[in-house]
Formats: sequence, C-alpha cells, structure tokens
Amino acid sequence: MRPAKGGTVSAPWGSIFLDEALSRDEAERVLKRLWRMLRPWRLRIFISALLIVGQTACVLAGPALVGHGIDDGLKVNNPDKLNLYASLYLGVAVFALVMGRLSIRAVARIGETFLRELRVRVFRHLLSLGMEFFEREKTGRLVARLTSDVEAMQELVQTGLTMFIQNILVFVGALIAIFLTSWQLALFTLVVVPPVYVASRWFRRASNRAYLDVRERIGTNLATLQEGLAGVRVVQAFGRERAFTRRFNETNEAQYDANIKTARIATRYFPVVEYSGVLGIAIIIGVGGWLVDAGTIKIGVVLSFVLYLNSLFEPVQQLSQLYNTLQSAGAALHKLFDLLDTKPSIAERSGAIDLPPVGALEVDEVSFGYAHGPDVLHSVSLTVAAGERIALVGPTGAGKSTLAKLVTRFYDPRSGVVRFGGTDLRDATIQSLRERIVVVPQEGYLFAGTIRENVRVGRPEATDAEVDAALEALGVRERFSLLPEGLETEVRERGSRLSAGERQLVSLARAALADPALLVLDEATSNLDPGTEQAVERALEALTAQRSVVVVAHRLSTAARADRIAVIDHGNLAEVGTHDELLRQEGRYASLWASWTAAQSVRAS
Amino acid sequence: MSDQAREAQLRRAGWRLMASTVRPQRTWVILGVGAGAVWTSAKIVIPAFAGAAIDDGITPGDGGVILKYVVLILLVGLVQAGGTALRRYSAFRISYRAETDLRQRLFAHLQRLHFAFHDQAQTGQLMARANSDIQQVNQVVIMLPLTISNIIILLGTVAVMMLKSVALALLALGTLPLLGYFATRFSHRIAPVSLALQQELGDLSGVVEESVAGVRVVKGFGAERRQEARLTIEADSVLDRALVAAKMRSNFLPLVDFLPAIALVAILWYGGHLVLDNKLQIGDLLQFNAYILMLIWPLRLTGMLVAQSARSAAAAGRIFEILETDTAVVDPPHPKPLPPTGHGELRFESVRFGYSSGKPVLDGFDLTVQGGEAVAIVGSTGSGKTTVARLLPRFYDVTDGRVLVDGVDVREVALHDLRRSIGIVFEDTFLFSDTVSANIAFAVPDAPLEAVRAAARLAGADEFVVDLPDKYDTVIGEQGYSLSGGQRQRIAIARAVLADPRVLILDDATSSVDPTKEHEIRAALQQVMQDRTTLIIAHRAATIALADRVVLLDAGHIVAEGTHHELLENSEMYRQILAQGTTDPGASTEPERTRP
Repeated sequence: MRPAKGGTVSAPWGSIFLDEALSRDEAERVLKRLWRMLRPWRLRIFISALLIVGQTACVLAGPALVGHGIDDGLKVNNPDKLNLYASLYLGVAVFALVMGRLSIRAVARIGETFLRELRVRVFRHLLSLGMEFFEREKTGRLVARLTSDVEAMQELVQTGLTMFIQNILVFVGALIAIFLTSWQLALFTLVVVPPVYVASRWFRRASNRAYLDVRERIGTNLATLQEGLAGVRVVQAFGRERAFTRRFNETNEAQYDANIKTARIATRYFPVVEYSGVLGIAIIIGVGGWLVDAGTIKIGVVLSFVLYLNSLFEPVQQLSQLYNTLQSAGAALHKLFDLLDTKPSIAERSGAIDLPPVGALEVDEVSFGYAHGPDVLHSVSLTVAAGERIALVGPTGAGKSTLAKLVTRFYDPRSGVVRFGGTDLRDATIQSLRERIVVVPQEGYLFAGTIRENVRVGRPEATDAEVDAALEALGVRERFSLLPEGLETEVRERGSRLSAGERQLVSLARAALADPALLVLDEATSNLDPGTEQAVERALEALTAQRSVVVVAHRLSTAARADRIAVIDHGNLAEVGTHDELLRQEGRYASLWASWTAAQSVRAS
Repeated sequence: MSDQAREAQLRRAGWRLMASTVRPQRTWVILGVGAGAVWTSAKIVIPAFAGAAIDDGITPGDGGVILKYVVLILLVGLVQAGGTALRRYSAFRISYRAETDLRQRLFAHLQRLHFAFHDQAQTGQLMARANSDIQQVNQVVIMLPLTISNIIILLGTVAVMMLKSVALALLALGTLPLLGYFATRFSHRIAPVSLALQQELGDLSGVVEESVAGVRVVKGFGAERRQEARLTIEADSVLDRALVAAKMRSNFLPLVDFLPAIALVAILWYGGHLVLDNKLQIGDLLQFNAYILMLIWPLRLTGMLVAQSARSAAAAGRIFEILETDTAVVDPPHPKPLPPTGHGELRFESVRFGYSSGKPVLDGFDLTVQGGEAVAIVGSTGSGKTTVARLLPRFYDVTDGRVLVDGVDVREVALHDLRRSIGIVFEDTFLFSDTVSANIAFAVPDAPLEAVRAAARLAGADEFVVDLPDKYDTVIGEQGYSLSGGQRQRIAIARAVLADPRVLILDDATSSVDPTKEHEIRAALQQVMQDRTTLIIAHRAATIALADRVVLLDAGHIVAEGTHHELLENSEMYRQILAQGTTDPGASTEPERTRP
C-alpha cells in the first residue's frame, strides 16, 4: 500500500535527513546564538581546544622527528642523534596519548552537559506553550524535536567536533610542516589535493542525495512491513498473503536499489582518492629524487613527505564526511531555536493574583474561534453558582467542548470574559487556576509509572495517606489494592494493563486528590467494560458532590441528573434550565429527550 | 535445555543462517576477495617500490631507476584503484542483497504464520527482527570480503617484513596485536553501554511522548513541573551513560595513534641502528613505516568484527527462531472444493478448543446454522463467542471435533478458498494506508469502481466517502485521513461484502458506530445479510435484533437459544448482558479530531 508522502515523523531519521540545508545567513545566526548559549562552558571549551591543539601537534611532530633522525643521525653516522630523536618521538607519542584521552573526556563533558541543558530547556518551553500549539502540531513531530533533533547533535558532540578541529589542525599543520621542510617539493605534492577536494565534494553531494532517497525508501519499506504485521489478521482473513508479500517485495527491492546506488557512488569515489594518493607518492619520489640530485633537499625529506602525505589526504576526506554531520546538527539546532522562539499564548500576566478558593463561574458574553477560523462560540453567557452542577448538551460540533476549554483557560476568549469568584481568569496565577479548576478528559490518560504515581499527578506534594484517602473517597481503593501489586502496579507494563474503566477511575482519583472548586468533566462517549461501568458512576457521584461541576454530556441520563442543563447549538446558548423546566418549554432539549425515551422503550419491549 | 545451551545453539543456527543467506552470492564473494587480494598486493608493492626507488635510485643518484619506479608505481596504482572499486562494490552488493533477501524471507514467513503465533508476538518485537536484527547481521556480512582481504594483507605484510629483518619485524609488529586486542575489547565493552544509552534515550522520548499526547492532563492539573522533573531524571541518565561511553572512547581512541607510533619509534631506533651497522637500507625503513601505517585499519576492523560477530550471530539466531516456527494452520495435501451451490450451512460438531496451554474455551460445542440464516452469538467476556467465529475461517484449528461449511470439514478445503468464501468484520477495524477504494477492494483488487461503490453503499459508507477530499481516492489508514471509529467500521463492512462471501461474520462490528447512526447501518446490514449465512457477535440489542436466532453462550456452552424477544423474556443472564451494553442514542458524540 502506498504510505503517505513526506517525513515519517516519529522515525529517528525523519527530521535529520529530510531537511533542506541551512542558508549561509541562517547558519550564521544559528552559530551566533549557539555561542551565546555556550557562555557557561566557554572556559572549558578553551581548555579543550588547547588540549586538542597540543595532541595534534604531537601527532604531527612524528614524521618530522623521523626525518631528522635519518638526516642528522643515520646519514652522518651519529647514533646519539638517532637515539635522541627516537626518544623524543616516544615522549611525544606518550604526550599525545595523555592529551588525547583528556581532550575526548573534556569535549564529551561539554557537549553532553550542553545537550542535557538543551533537552530540559526545550521540554520546559514546550510544556509552557498553549493548547492551540499542541492541536496544530503532530505529536510525532514534537517528540522528534527532543529526540532525533537533539541526537543529531549528539554525533557531533561525541566524535564529530573533536575530529573536525583535529582534521583542520592536521591539514594545516601538515601543510606548514611540508612547506617548512621543502617548499619546492611541497608545491609539487599539493598538486594532488585539488582532485581529492573536488572528488570529495562531488561524493558528499551525490551520496547526500542518494542517502536521502535511501532513508525515504527505508521509511516506505518499514511502513509496509509494519502494516503487514499489524494487519496480518486481515490479510489472512481475506487470503491476501501472497499479494501482500509481493507488495513488500516491491518496497524491499526499491530499498535495495537505492542502497546499490550509494554503493555505485562509493565505487566511483574511492578509486579516485586512492589513485591520487599513489600519484602523490610517485610525485614525491620523482620530484624528490630530482631535488635530492640537485642538492636542494636531503633524502630524509623525501621520507618524511611520504609520511605527511597521509596527513594531507585523510583530513580532506574526513572533513567532507563531517560536513554532513555539521549540516544536520545545524538544521536540528535551527528547528530547536524555532521552537524556543514560539511564544506561549497562555502566559501569566505580571501581577497576577490567586483565584479565590471558591466562587461562581461566570461566562460573560464570550465569543471564540480557533486560530484564524470563524467564531465557533457567539457571545455565550452562563453562570455556574458555587456547588452547582451544570450539563452542556448539544449536537456534534455545537461548541460544548470548546466552551469547556475556555472555562479551564486552555484558550482565551476572543471577546468577553470568563471569571471565577469575580476574577478574570487572565488575571489569575496559572498555579491557582490549575488548583481551583480541574478538567477530567474523556479518556483516562495514564502516564508511565504506578497507579499511585498517576493519582499523585493531581497534587504532586500529596502524601501516600492523602492518595489513599482520595481513592477511598471514590470507593475504589479496595479495587486497586486487590491487584497483585496493589497501588504499586505499573500501569504501562505488559500484562497489567488496566481496562478503560479502570483508567477512568485512576483519572477521577487524580481529580479527587487535586480537590478543585470547579470540576470540568468531558464525558466518555464509548462504552466502558461492564465490570467497571457502575464503579465509575459511583466514583463520579462522589467526586462531583459538593463542588461546582460543568459536564460535557453525551448521555441524556447524565444531563438529567444535573442541577441545570445548557443546550448549545451552533455556538449559541439555545436553552438553559432544569430538566423539568426544559421539558415544559418543549424546545430542543424536550425533543432530544423524547426520541431518547422512545428508543429506551423499544429496547425494553 | 538450559538457557545457555539454547543460546549457543541459536548462535550456531545464526551462523548457518548467515552462511545460507550469503551462499547465493558466492560469485560476488569470490570476486570481492580476489579484488581485495589484488588491491592488497598493490598496496604492499607500492611502498616497496618507493623504498627501492630511494635506495637504488635517489641514493646513488640514478635518474633512470627513479623514473622506472615512478612509472611502476603509477601502473600498480591503477591496479590498486581498480581493486578498490571492485572490492567495495562486491562488499556492498553482497550485504545489501543478503539483507533484502533475508527480510523478504522473514516477511513472507510472518505473513503465513498462524494467528496463535501473532497473538503472542508483539509487532514491535517482529519489527525489531526485520529491522535492527537484520542490520546487525549485515554488519558482519558487509565486512566479510574485506576481512578476508585483511587477513591476506596481514600475512603478506608480515612475510615481507620478516624477509627484510626478522628482529625489526618482530619489534615493529610487537605492539600491533595489542591494537587488535584493544579494538575487540573496546567493541565488547561499548556495546552494552550504547545499548543502555539507546534504552535511556527511549525512556526519555517516552516521557516526551506521554507529555505531548497527554498534554490536556498535564495542563489540566498544572503538572508541567512534575513532567519536567521526570524528564530531567531521564536526561541525567542519558548524560551519565554518554559520559561513561565517552570515558571508554577516551581510553581506546588515543591508543589507535599511540600503538603504531610505538612501532614507528622502534623502527626508527632499532632499524636506524641496523642501518648504521649496514644491515639494512634507509629505503627499508620507509617501507616498514608505510606497512605499519597500512596495518592500523585492518587491525582495528578485524577487532571490531570479532566483537560484532557475536552480536550478529545472536541477532541471526533470533531471526532463525522465527523462521523455524512452522505454520500450524496449513493447506490440506489434497484440498476439496466447497460445493459450488452451497448456501453456507455451518455445523460445529462436538468442538473442543483452547488457546495455547490454557483450559479449553469451547468443550463439546455443537451448533448448526442453516444456509442463509443469521445467528447472533451473545455472551459475556470470555464466554467463547469470538472463538466460535474464529474457528470458522481456520484462524485456529479445533483440538477435537469438526467445523463444517456446506458439509465439508474446513480443514479439507484449500485455505485460500475457505477464507475467500467467508467475509469477516473484525472488532478492531484495521485499515491499510491506502485509498478508500483499495481498502474496500482488498480481497478483489481488480474489482471495478462500480462494485466498490455498490459495496460501500450496502455498508452505508458511500454517504461519507463522497464527502472526503478525494472521495474514493482519499488515502486513509495510519498515515492518511483519519476516520471516526464508526466510519472505519463501515469501510470494513464494505470490504467484507465486496468479496461476496457465502458466510459473513460480524465480530462486534458495530461497537464503535455512533448510536445515532446505528439505525442507518442496521438497514445496510439487513441488506448485506440477505441470502447469506451470518454470524453476529454483538453486545448491542439493536444489532442482535437483526439475527433470526440468538444463541446465548456461557463458559463455552450454549445455555439458551431462541429469538431476541424470547430470550429477553426467559433469560435473566441475557437481560443482564444486554443491559451492560446500553447506551443512550439520544445525545451525540463529540467529533473526533480529523486531520487532512
């Protein structure tokens, strides 16, 4: 089957590879900002840089020492000089070993602690963003910011950065060394660098494109694979195993083709690079021999040039490889900065005050629409007295849930005011708002962790006894205590998965622990398992006693139990009143009720 | 068998599997090794020529000799370049081919494996087999020709060096086995740390994922701080692991420079003294130096390969475990056709069945359904009602007794024929990421659009499909346009109907249809069920009422039978079960968040 185009968002390669390279301007801004962010690490960076320079210098000194050993020792029959250079070389090697070890650790500490800060900072910012952001962005994409995007930088931090600096140093150092030794021979030797550079550049671009294709096809192939496994029952039920295997064969072979293409590119590139190396040796021997003959240089120089040749070649190749890592890290950082620059839409005003502990909820002439869309609520006014239970009823898309979101300040109204206890929600501290007004969503959402930890989300500082009390108040403590591991049961672990009803119970207990003044309930639409349906009903009853409740009702039986019912239709408040009042009015609610009772009697017959 | 013995056995099987996957590529293996050998020889010869040029050409100042060696070096260089091209290409080709073939084989096998296998296996686990495990295997396969070449390089180089000077060769090579040793040890040690790091990263993304997916709860309770604290814990674990890994790298990587440097020092010092004593020439020193540098990579790679091969064999063993699992439900050797004129009469005769190891779900179950009859099977969770439906298309085979369709034992019919004559609508409607029409025409891919639309109309799906952005060409499924539960179910019903099966199974097929829309589907189902044997498994009275007859199941036995109304009147258990499935049809549901 044809998977959707575009990035496979949650896949680790998604955001890394499918992005355009940054423009020079963007790259510059990203770098500047990165440097600012790195302020606390600057001293460490400086020290690490010194270590890397020292290590590289030691590595580079090797061939020079060999050359000197030959020319000043062997050629002139001076064993003392030979011994001196050999022991110098040994000392330099030990020095390089120590500094290499130190620099790897130092760079890793800088990089990894930076990434840790970045993760926490981006996550904190992410959670501070408003609901409209989360409804706009796909979960996978947001998760990718904190996973694959940060990990794109990890490679750079782990080995890339050090290698980058080292390779530049080695290349420049080798360049200086050969020019100091013999500028004539150096000039001839450098002839081989341009072809390697050009080839490497071509290779980088070609293999980038090819790998992009590989990633995409791997994504497609994995999607087919996943579908074939997840849907294996349907495939077998309709006897389509062969056809589906053939379909997989297509995407599988497509992946192979893309892979082979990268192999072809490598097959063209490496012979060029290797032959350039051989050419370098030939030049050094030929030209060097001629220069020795002319008396311009000594034989040792020829020898050290052959050794330096590697130091000129490797960096060019490695740098062209590292460029990819740099690119993807830059692109990832750019996206992270973008996220950090997104302003939270629901922020606390300076001088915000705490909401009063109890009070009436007033929805005053509120209009609202999503993003740039049309209004979905038109000047709605509704008051919920302290301790009153009100049910919102109405057809699909009428705006019931939207109204509930405004009451909890997931969104701010376009015009009008929502007040609690006389205070505009926009003037309240977020902390007090979340304590006084709590929303329980349709489906009981659980976090990884135990049942106890999940209940404690309602009030993180609550004691074990308080958690127990909250469960007890809803009459569900015993039910969970009976599980093999009681309240310490891991809810996401395989085998101990809670049923939908039980999840809902945990979710209600969470609200009970939070003990808000106003509870906003979004009633579940789907059926709960028969065993827990009644327990949920009882828990709801206990939870909603003695507090203000706004329930988005999908069942008329729920609505009928509320103190008052508000019928929402096309974004307007159509009717408000008690069940009996509304029935007497013979309006929309009355007709809904009539058709429902009729259906009930059909069933009972 | 002990776990260890089993593991060792699996590793051996893994090696065999790898060998059998590479075997069809033997031409390329030979080419690759040959090219590697040629390449290696060239690489050994060039420094030798360079050394000779210095000693015989440059030192005595003989321009002719220098020129001769320069030309020779350039010519051998061509051979080397050709060798590297072929060596690389064949390595890639072997490994990609092996990977692709192995994945194909695994997929084909998984597609055929019986339901009971898939009940136990997790999709994620199987994905890991087909993805990361195959990659692990690949790591060894791709290095295969190169490693063989490397061994040649090693032996060749050592031989050449020995010929020049045994003592210097021993001294120069002395540190290099250490390089191989440290490389192996490093790979061994870093593997579990990398794995743990991956694990921690997975946990971290778990926290992000649950926070984003549950952002309403997080914000609703002001639990941002709590989640941040959790993320910080995970980020710290990632940091710790990463630093451990960095420490290991810092212990190993500098050795890659250091150990060869020691060899170079030895060559300069001891070799230098040999030159002073006139036992060696300067050119030989150059040659020794070049060889040492040349040996670094092969030794590192070989060390890594040694470490990797254990992991790869284990991965291959895991793949083998799946491949060796035989399909429990297979075609009969001499399949019988279903009678072409049959109307779908079903008979369960003293059927006994239990899911692996558990106690029997059905024991002595008897039921006959006339051709064209609609029977509803009702019962509480675990009563065995779904099992009855799953024995019919042989998703599982009975332990005892028989299941007959139109008088033929289902085990005697070709699987494909059997399943094509039975249409099933599952409770969890799985739709493929494809167009609406391709999903409906799943059983009959070449069905004309008219037939697809007819089936959709029958299932009550046409009405909303025509409102989709691209109508029947709209891509749905996991990566496409998301439909509501009820809409998905109607597509699934259309899919089952299109094949025009003689038996239709509705396995809780209307459970997530919006109650207000149920009557529309009821009308559609009534039409679909006409002239077709239908098994209905349902909780909702409205759906059950479609059946001609209701069978009440409890603990694998039929406890009551009759029409819906008769059972309502006579059976307390029936009334209870129905009461649990009650919902109010009066109110509406909130729209699901749809995305284009």
